[in-house]
Amino acid sequence: MSADVSVQIRFDVNGTGQDLRVDPERRLVDLLREDLDMTGTKESCAVGVCGACSVLVDGELLSACLIPAVMVDGRSITTIEGIAGPNGELSAMQEAFIVEGGLQCGACTPGQVVAATALLREQPDPSDAEIRDWMAGNLCRCTGYAGIIRAIRSAAAPG
Amino acid sequence: MSVIGADAPRVDGPAKVTGAAQYTADIVLPGMLHAKVLRSTMPHARLVRIDASAAERELGVVTITRDDLTGMDPYYGPVVKDQPIVGIDRVLFAGDVIAVVAAEARDIAEEALDLIEVEYEPLPVVTDSDAAMAEGAPVLHAARRTPQVTFPDMKSVHFQTDSNVCSVYHVERGDVEAGFADADELFEDVYSVPTIQHGHIEPHASIAYWEPSGKLVVHTSTQNPSVIRTQLADLFGLPETSVRVIVPYVGGGYGAKTYPKLEPIVAALSRKARRPVSLVISREEVFMTAVRHAASVRIKTGVRCDGTLVARRVVATYDTGAYADIGPRTAKNGGYSAGGPYRIEHQDLTSYCVYTNKPPAGAFRGFGVPQVCWAYESQMDDIARRLGMDPVELRKRNLIQENDLFVTGDRLVSVGLDKCLDQVVEAIGWRGIESTRPIETDRPGFVRGLGLAVMIKSTMTPSNSAASVRLNADGSATLLTSSVEIGQGSHTGLAQIVAEAIGLPLDRVSVTFPDTDFTPYDQSTSSSRTIFSMGHAARQAGIQIRDQLLEIASGRFEAAVEDLEIVDGSIRVKGVPAQSLTIPQVFTTHFGAAVGSLFGAFDYQTTGGLDPDTGMGKASAFWFLSAAGAEVEVDTRTGKIRVLRAVTSVDVGKAINPRQCWLQNEGSMLTALGSALFEEMLFDNGQPVNASFLDYMLPSMEDFPDTFRSMLVETPHPEGPYGAKGMGEAGLGPVAPAIGNAVANALGGVRLRDLPLRPERVLDALTKEGLQ
Repeated sequence: MSADVSVQIRFDVNGTGQDLRVDPERRLVDLLREDLDMTGTKESCAVGVCGACSVLVDGELLSACLIPAVMVDGRSITTIEGIAGPNGELSAMQEAFIVEGGLQCGACTPGQVVAATALLREQPDPSDAEIRDWMAGNLCRCTGYAGIIRAIRSAAAPG
Repeated sequence: MSVIGADAPRVDGPAKVTGAAQYTADIVLPGMLHAKVLRSTMPHARLVRIDASAAERELGVVTITRDDLTGMDPYYGPVVKDQPIVGIDRVLFAGDVIAVVAAEARDIAEEALDLIEVEYEPLPVVTDSDAAMAEGAPVLHAARRTPQVTFPDMKSVHFQTDSNVCSVYHVERGDVEAGFADADELFEDVYSVPTIQHGHIEPHASIAYWEPSGKLVVHTSTQNPSVIRTQLADLFGLPETSVRVIVPYVGGGYGAKTYPKLEPIVAALSRKARRPVSLVISREEVFMTAVRHAASVRIKTGVRCDGTLVARRVVATYDTGAYADIGPRTAKNGGYSAGGPYRIEHQDLTSYCVYTNKPPAGAFRGFGVPQVCWAYESQMDDIARRLGMDPVELRKRNLIQENDLFVTGDRLVSVGLDKCLDQVVEAIGWRGIESTRPIETDRPGFVRGLGLAVMIKSTMTPSNSAASVRLNADGSATLLTSSVEIGQGSHTGLAQIVAEAIGLPLDRVSVTFPDTDFTPYDQSTSSSRTIFSMGHAARQAGIQIRDQLLEIASGRFEAAVEDLEIVDGSIRVKGVPAQSLTIPQVFTTHFGAAVGSLFGAFDYQTTGGLDPDTGMGKASAFWFLSAAGAEVEVDTRTGKIRVLRAVTSVDVGKAINPRQCWLQNEGSMLTALGSALFEEMLFDNGQPVNASFLDYMLPSMEDFPDTFRSMLVETPHPEGPYGAKGMGEAGLGPVAPAIGNAVANALGGVRLRDLPLRPERVLDALTKEGLQ
């Protein structure tokens, strides 16, 4: 048996403090899905290009398949489970994804919603070019992106 | 107001936008082990020695190699039993399964793979269908063993032996040689389409365990739970009641999740381990599990000066890879569809399904049709150009019409293709022959062009779908169905059909996930058949419940059944709204209290099938038809193509949920755009070289056209529920040739015949024509 090289980390997920020992090689996506049972974050490509595992780390949009779990020590993470309100009320972006046809099979949807939420925090009224540029790292094979673009435009629209 | 034709919001929306929707890879069972697969590094080799003893000894893992499968027939396959659970004597493609391991954790399983010793003896490799069909090619499978239970439509396929041709389909009408002799102009070209991958975001995943009673339970990401049950029962020698297949949400499939994929592996592993085993494969492995057939299509067409298509001969060759999977049906469907949606008096159509040392090719949205549609619709524009005709006029002169006979002898009904083409012509702004000319831009080197195309496709026929509907005393109903909610919106559309059939508000109907212990047989969630076939069965089951409610109420009201109606869950005398009963009151009338259940059940088999000798008969329960238009911009200095506008129009019969219909086709359109411009799996002597999302690009939002429209035409089908027919694949086929035709028009008629339309191919074509 090799020596225990695990590291104690403390971080915050969706407003709840966590205190865990993790192996230095463990990825954030595994920590979320397996240790914390937050399976809304999906793994698809494992190389950081599809966006299915998108999460926010201190507000920054990142792929959880690329981040060693130890790197979130002391940080604050938002996953798809933290997007809806405290009583489960859907966010404007989540509502817009349903109303505008931004989802079909749903496998990419958590990542799309997290990425789109981050976009509007960064740029509340994005142009089409800004939407495309920001969302190009979130692949979807069902919708053809049309519904996702409509959803983002609709969630961004004032009122 | 009728719930049919209403844009009801999808019922799974909240679960999916919150991450609460559960997929197979999200399921954890007590004591569950994690599996990994040892895959061949060689595209074709004899397995001289496999030794997994060190892995088992040193890491305590459970392994399955060929040594564990003695005493059973380890081969499976939906139409040909040619694929073993793990490699027996040979491996047939780079990525083929040699051994599988289950361990307490994935990293231990991964480590164990390194401890399995494999000795190969390399064998000669064939990586394309031409080479595989050549004299002296190594024969990958000498025999064709069919499974005990297969599909009725497979009778029309000729299985071959002792060569790499797995199967042949042929149909002819008239005298094609006489037709060519009678024609004024002949066109003969060869088109090609490469291997592409489905790109479903959820990788394949399966979990299995065995109950102490000897029952096998499988949770799996599949499109056809009933077939998985049949195949596992066959493999493990069990009655179907001893195999339970449960399907949660499925994260995309597009055909890749039809027929057994990982299920035999986890079943074998969990049997030996006596614990649940989960296998979720990597993206790289997904590229080795299912792909779309590469194809080469030789097409010869004879035309009169007035544009009448007289004769067409097509030979289409489909590269099915190392195992047949459903390739024989794919090739058959492509074969009879190769004449296109045109009246052509003389036709001679042949398709071959051919084994090669590549990953197994199977179902992919469009099912063999996009390959031939690329050929016949590209050639159609070349014909128009040579005849000096408007391509729209040429198509309209030849388009099939209601009640025409298809080449297979099918009488065509619900044919709204003229209207689809008209919608596309208007949406894309087509203005006759002048639209075939290049459109200059103010940027030097950039030219634009418009193009369009049409398509016809069948559905698997005959096929079965059974539905069971249960009405509770509170007036809520459950549809028990093995149709899979794979993103297409079946949970919503089928609920609409049941609500309408009984007369319930939509929110009182729920639809189950497939669980073969409870949900009846359904052949497959594919072939765009769910709303037509399962919808038909669900409607009939709902009508049975409605009839029972009316019968009970008629006694209570002392009124004839014909004088009663059910509206929004209340049963009333027509024209006398005051005389009404709620469903709990009907139950109380019948059972003495608001308890119990009313049931309805129906198994719908579509009729048809083709004669194996002539290829004639009834190929399809319904036909779907579509048209597409595109505007492209070509950078003639770099060869790069950008699609500026894409539009499609699809004849859906009757849209149960119009919004969900056009949304579904939006996805087909962008997949088709990727296949037109850049998607291609590359192999170097059988070794996959771009099996990751870093190297194999799916279209991203950056590829999204400026204008994108998915439109519907409704030509009710007499047998479809409320007139509905399938449409989920319809938006795919015509988009690539519409883009190809737009490129040809932008370039003054320069034709590219090989997909994808990569920049260097555009530049090569321009150089060849002396335009660059």
